[in-house]
Amino acid sequence: MNGGHASAGAAELARLLARVADGDAAAFQHFYDRTSAKLFGIILRILAERQEAEDVLQEVYVTVWRKAASFDPARASPITWVATIARNRAIDRLRARPVRHQAPVEAAHDLADQGPAPDAGLVASQDARRLAEALHLLEPRHADAIRACYFEGITYDELAAREQVPVGTLKSWVRRGLMRMRSHLEGREA
Amino acid sequence: MSETPPPTNGLAGLTEDEALAMDHALGALGRADRKAAELRVVGDPDFRARVERWQTALAPLDEATAPASPPPAVWAAIAAETVAQAPRAVPAPAPAAPRGWWHNLALWRGLGLGAPVAAAIAVAVMVQPDAVPVVAPASGPALRATLAGSDGKPLLAAAFDPASGQVRFAPVAQNEAGAGKVPELWVIEGSNPPRSLGVIDISAGSAHRIPRDRLAGLKEGSILAISIEPVGGSPTGTPTGPVIATGALSAA
Repeated sequence: MNGGHASAGAAELARLLARVADGDAAAFQHFYDRTSAKLFGIILRILAERQEAEDVLQEVYVTVWRKAASFDPARASPITWVATIARNRAIDRLRARPVRHQAPVEAAHDLADQGPAPDAGLVASQDARRLAEALHLLEPRHADAIRACYFEGITYDELAAREQVPVGTLKSWVRRGLMRMRSHLEGREA
Repeated sequence: MSETPPPTNGLAGLTEDEALAMDHALGALGRADRKAAELRVVGDPDFRARVERWQTALAPLDEATAPASPPPAVWAAIAAETVAQAPRAVPAPAPAAPRGWWHNLALWRGLGLGAPVAAAIAVAVMVQPDAVPVVAPASGPALRATLAGSDGKPLLAAAFDPASGQVRFAPVAQNEAGAGKVPELWVIEGSNPPRSLGVIDISAGSAHRIPRDRLAGLKEGSILAISIEPVGGSPTGTPTGPVIATGALSAA
């Protein structure tokens, strides 16, 4: 049921984007109203700095306005398309910062606790529940590393220092974890 | 690029490209490697497809991130840089119009910082792009006004783009309206009495449309003013409550 709801929402967002591509201001504002809180949440989680996050959100929607015509529904859902732009812009901004003091080790574990449990059954879509389930099959430290990279935009190097493991070890945790996640998801689909 | 770690347990069959696509989609690469990966995305459709596959696979994680409502000033700044620009000719590249003062979010934000802001008011005022303004030849100059209170503190900034017929008001004022009161916008041409441009909806991020026939007074030298009126707007057709801000329109 969530899946059906999500795809109805996706279809509407795709229609709005098509109108945005034609320069429709009302459609653009509608699209913003529907998506900005989600994107701001994603950006804020990566950047933490509110003002910087607002600047990035502005950049993201200016990009959406200019590039709406290049959105291809065959390649991504509308929300994945804009969320990816938002993550990329936020990470670009993070990388452009001068190197600073690392966050404490506990941060990764705090973040891990924010993920929904596999059967939380809240408002998570079926995709989100299955992904969470796949993550929970991994060793907790590996799953935490994947979450830290994804949600915080932290680099392998920074995370390895934070976790006090060699970079090569950390990379193999993450990559192995992602491979297992994907085969779990694809195995279930088959 | 510099050093590729040897495959370790559980990574058999993971090609270098696939590992890079995964790392990039996850967002774990440092600045230089990330730039290199971005270049590959642009130039290599196969690599791009790999990255997009991982992005799609990971995207449901975003549902675990709490949404956060951005402040209204952000939409005002976005609108100023997008919908307020001339309607785009279909395949034209980004318009080469100079970036006006209103494009800068920091400026919009800064307008509100001098005063103890009780509540931010941001209003995007726009007309439909296809609603050709009655008097606003596309050749006319873009106009701006900074509306200040009697103490000279700027409360609100306005920008009018004749090419698109759109007027934007952004941010930031003290919400002095109080219960049962609303701000109303006026334009004053020369010695004519103020004409209402409508009650400004102060709910966050809302849009307000000015009737086309009321755009006529929006020209250089006209004064914009905001008064505080009963809900529904001035009952008399002229300002009845205190005027909290005024400013002259000038060429941007």
